[in-house]
Amino acid sequence: MLGSLRTSFTGYLTYRGGVGQIPFLLHRVTGLGVLFFLTIHIVDTALVYFAPQLYEHALELFRSTPFMVGEIGLVFCVFFHGLNGLRIAYYDLFTTAGGEIDRVRKSVWATFVITMILWIPAASIMVYKLLHYNFGFFAGK
Amino acid sequence: MTAIPRTVKIKQNYEIVAWKWMRYSAIILIPLVWVHVLIQDILVGPHYITLDYVEKRWSMIGWQIYDILLLSFTFAHGMNGLRQIMVDHIHSRQARVMYGWFIFLAWVVITLIGGFAIIGAAHKHLVAFN
Repeated sequence: MLGSLRTSFTGYLTYRGGVGQIPFLLHRVTGLGVLFFLTIHIVDTALVYFAPQLYEHALELFRSTPFMVGEIGLVFCVFFHGLNGLRIAYYDLFTTAGGEIDRVRKSVWATFVITMILWIPAASIMVYKLLHYNFGFFAGK
Repeated sequence: MTAIPRTVKIKQNYEIVAWKWMRYSAIILIPLVWVHVLIQDILVGPHYITLDYVEKRWSMIGWQIYDILLLSFTFAHGMNGLRQIMVDHIHSRQARVMYGWFIFLAWVVITLIGGFAIIGAAHKHLVAFN
């Protein structure tokens, strides 16, 4: 199993798929990242019903600096994965033969640009809250 | 030259249905997940979320339905994605079947835990209210 994983990993790094290879890899990485958080999130939120006093403890953890930084990354993953998923669905379902290569290349860049347009304001608000609540900036604490 | 018919009928199998599911579920997943992330992560944030906040939210039937949809669509999409990646990387057929069952069981158990919590918390709130 480890051998096949190593083959896949080196294959990913050396395969010259061009501009389409980057969103392919990022789609998998962000998908796995969101799924990892989602699994934790379902179980910790279920504590509201099964063990309310433990939920307060989980919240303390989510308010800590490493988790809030991770949350900013999570929001990037959610935006990128969603937009890239729409891009894939569009080419797979509504075009023949997966679209023309030039248009596909342009759509990859458009996906990154729109992701940043959505993520930068979202991340700014979250960084503001992190500095305000955890470090006492902007008349916090 | 006679024209060759361009349409080919493909027999439906599990993989084709799963492939379509990953694409069509995106149409409902984008509004569901983005609105949830916008409200809970960006605008509200963990410092405002408390036990009381979640219980109040789940006492409203609209949010309860919203969260059940969110839970079922996101987790089914995510676990199937995990299965697709697993199938790409695990080369032994026996191991693929084993991991497939493991992913399936994890999906069922964690979905049930989440579903029970949403419905149970709302029920508890209703009992306390009456």
